[in-house]
Amino acid sequence: MNEFSRREGRQKGNPLKRLLAIRGMGQVISVTIGLVALCIVFQILSSNFFSPDNLGNLLRQIAPYLIIGIAQSFVLITGNIDLSIGSIMGMSSMMAATMMTKGVHPAWAILITFMSCVFVGVVNGQLVAACKLPPFIATLGTMTIARGIAQIVNNNHNTDTISIGIGKETTEAFKNFFYYGKIFTLGGHQESNGSVIGGFSIYSPVIIAIALWIVFNFMLSKTRTGRHIYATGSNMDAARLSGVNVTGTITAAYVVSAICSCIAGLIVCATTGMGAMDTGNSYELYAVAASVIGGVSTLGGQGILLGTVIGAAVWSVLQNGLQFAGAPVAIRNIVIGVIVVLSVLLDVVIRSGSRRKAKDMGASALLGWISRKSSEKAAP
Amino acid sequence: MDIIQKDSEILRLHDETHEDIVKMTGISKSFPGVLALDNVSFNLRKGEVLALLGENGAGKSTLMKVLSGIYPRDSGDIEISGLKQEDFTTGKAKELGIVIIHQELNMCSHLSAAENIFLGREIIKRGVVSQDEMNQKAFEILSMLNIDIDPETIVGDLAVSKQQMVEIAKALSANAKILIMDEPTSALTSKEIEDLFRIIIDLKSRGCGIVYISHRLEEISLIADRVTIMRDGKYIATMNYADTSLQEIISLMVGREITEKFPKISCPKGEKIFEVKHLNAGRMVRDVSFELYKGQILGIAGLMGAGRTETTRAVFGVDPKESGEIILEGKPVTIRKPYDAIRNGLVLVPEDRKKDGLCTKLTVRENIAMPSLDVISNFFGVVNRQKEKMIVEKSIKDLSIRLPHSEVEAMSLSGGNQQKVVVSKWLARNSRVVIFDEPTRGIDVAAKVEIYHLMNDLKRRGIGVVFVSSEMPEILGVSDRIIIMCDGRITGELMAFEATQSLILTYATMFESKLSRSDAS
Repeated sequence: MNEFSRREGRQKGNPLKRLLAIRGMGQVISVTIGLVALCIVFQILSSNFFSPDNLGNLLRQIAPYLIIGIAQSFVLITGNIDLSIGSIMGMSSMMAATMMTKGVHPAWAILITFMSCVFVGVVNGQLVAACKLPPFIATLGTMTIARGIAQIVNNNHNTDTISIGIGKETTEAFKNFFYYGKIFTLGGHQESNGSVIGGFSIYSPVIIAIALWIVFNFMLSKTRTGRHIYATGSNMDAARLSGVNVTGTITAAYVVSAICSCIAGLIVCATTGMGAMDTGNSYELYAVAASVIGGVSTLGGQGILLGTVIGAAVWSVLQNGLQFAGAPVAIRNIVIGVIVVLSVLLDVVIRSGSRRKAKDMGASALLGWISRKSSEKAAP
Repeated sequence: MDIIQKDSEILRLHDETHEDIVKMTGISKSFPGVLALDNVSFNLRKGEVLALLGENGAGKSTLMKVLSGIYPRDSGDIEISGLKQEDFTTGKAKELGIVIIHQELNMCSHLSAAENIFLGREIIKRGVVSQDEMNQKAFEILSMLNIDIDPETIVGDLAVSKQQMVEIAKALSANAKILIMDEPTSALTSKEIEDLFRIIIDLKSRGCGIVYISHRLEEISLIADRVTIMRDGKYIATMNYADTSLQEIISLMVGREITEKFPKISCPKGEKIFEVKHLNAGRMVRDVSFELYKGQILGIAGLMGAGRTETTRAVFGVDPKESGEIILEGKPVTIRKPYDAIRNGLVLVPEDRKKDGLCTKLTVRENIAMPSLDVISNFFGVVNRQKEKMIVEKSIKDLSIRLPHSEVEAMSLSGGNQQKVVVSKWLARNSRVVIFDEPTRGIDVAAKVEIYHLMNDLKRRGIGVVFVSSEMPEILGVSDRIIIMCDGRITGELMAFEATQSLILTYATMFESKLSRSDAS
């Protein structure tokens, strides 16, 4: 009884302590500090970094990374990996664009694309959970297939601009809904034709990303399915013995992943106003990076979506800031690569105490190996 | 050639008939909280088969791990072939020709027999592995042992018994002088056992010393020259097999005093609430039937590998059943997956809490609430935190789980408290039958007593309790009725008042006679 009252006191007391009590918050806070430091460095390197114009742009750039980060985080938390994210983006972008160039109304095009992507997610989930294929192999297969579909829908060509099918006005509506639309703007100056230049704007992809984040964060943290996702990733045997439908849970995570990837693909399609076959190429790995920087464990069972937000932000700030600072593409890539590896290495060092067997999957198999080796060395 | 010379030198130094190739004196070994070996002495002679016997947890495996260098000893002397060993490691043991063949074979199943035999000692000619020479040498070793295996066969394609023989050949090719076999016959058929015994006798004649660990007492009568009996980490006795009897061996094995107090309560026997009829699931669950009444605790006793855990898993729907019927409160129920069992009010507290019981990275709250999520979440699947809190706090209080707050990771708790979390998961639901599989393994005495009290409390409330345990005192002290399993079958049933340790052990070692069956056919 005494213990309870003490506990109550602790929980109701210091708000900072309550925040820290949320599992996974420690990592999120440390990465946030890193993010702030990065922003300060870039502001020093280039005074334009914190301009209202660039901040709006930056948020718009973060949005797709956040969306695919959510996708990968769901799957990673179940202890699996989804390599098909980038290809589903490509498939979604090409399918929607092809239909629209043929004059299909965007609403229908989006619906059909959406259903197809969900189907790929279901296939992923069933291959991994029901057929027990290693997730790395199963999604490597669907990754290739989805890319193939992206190529075949328009006869191995990128599409023309979608306005030739659905007309200029509908095209504008589609593009604004997914990418160019400004929800509100602060500052900036009005041009003679009525459009606003400069200033801080919230663009529509930011709203889409926030909406998806709210829905899926609620799902992960407040619902039964969310609990099952954590339980499955933490200990699949124990979860099954507790009555968790493990197959259904893993499939749900892959479907969430496919939905997010589909929407990210549509955003890319709206950005360019056409469909490109290589859309989303290697985005599945950017998604892993965003998740892992944000504290999602590749071994499953750990991580929160707030971390993914910070992870996606770190990724985009690096891209954007290095560009502003005038770093050439090659240098950008090297710096980003080093930072990803360092942040994950930190993650491994912190978690090397946990002796869970790494699953048979690329990066995490390697990480698991490293952590096993390091813990073996630590133990006499 | 030089080995034979060395051997003959040693022969000259020692008494020829009773030469000890292993002499261990005063060996002690403790693990945190447990004294696994307490001043144990052990000797093995050249050219003999020594049966090492004892109940579960008697310390047989620990002793053999010390002998093969896997565990360092805390104190005591080891003498191998008359030479005192100070720093004894696995490498040293290998060098001295000590080979242990585990129950689970350690073979590379994708490689050939010859490749396995020479694994790590491949014959290299001009910088490359000489496959031909390895095959030739392997063939010589195999034919010396009268084993009919083509050295080029992939090991994975061989029957288990043949794989075991490849392992023996591997041991011999490494000049094994001391061979330790842990339950070598558990997966073998009668014909294969005969082959194995023929090879063992052959090895004896070559001067190998063989330690044979088995629960199958009838097999031991066929090959053992001497028996050494251990109990609770202590050395009990060594006898010539010819001078002893099965009764004597059993009574020495179980001679343990029941010193602990068990809080037994008596309740009137109520109606039948749970029944398993003719359950079959693989080799380890064969035609298992039992009944459970309200107000009784049903104990399931047996040795390691008797099929008790497999039975509970099959009943609970973790592993598939081949046939059989499960009847709960008079109604037959279909259980295909754990969820079916949980929905019907049948729950399992699994044996291995790290592997099957807990999500160690999740909080205590999430672990306790997990099986009850369907009860505490609404139509849309949103978990009601208020209800969850109530359930979790009630469980923590009922089982007096000691923890700072319910948001700590399950991993950070002590073994006893982890076990209580695993148990409490199930008590929030109104379950009608609870199966406890080894609920007291690896936890301290105080926590054990709390678990017994909990089982008694369930029994008083009319909830069916099945209690699986390898520890005889607690089975005898807690259960009202005991069924005993051996090799996947139920071999006996006893009421608590008539049960004794030696009676249980007699039933628990009632293996089907594989050898006489082959004689009959």
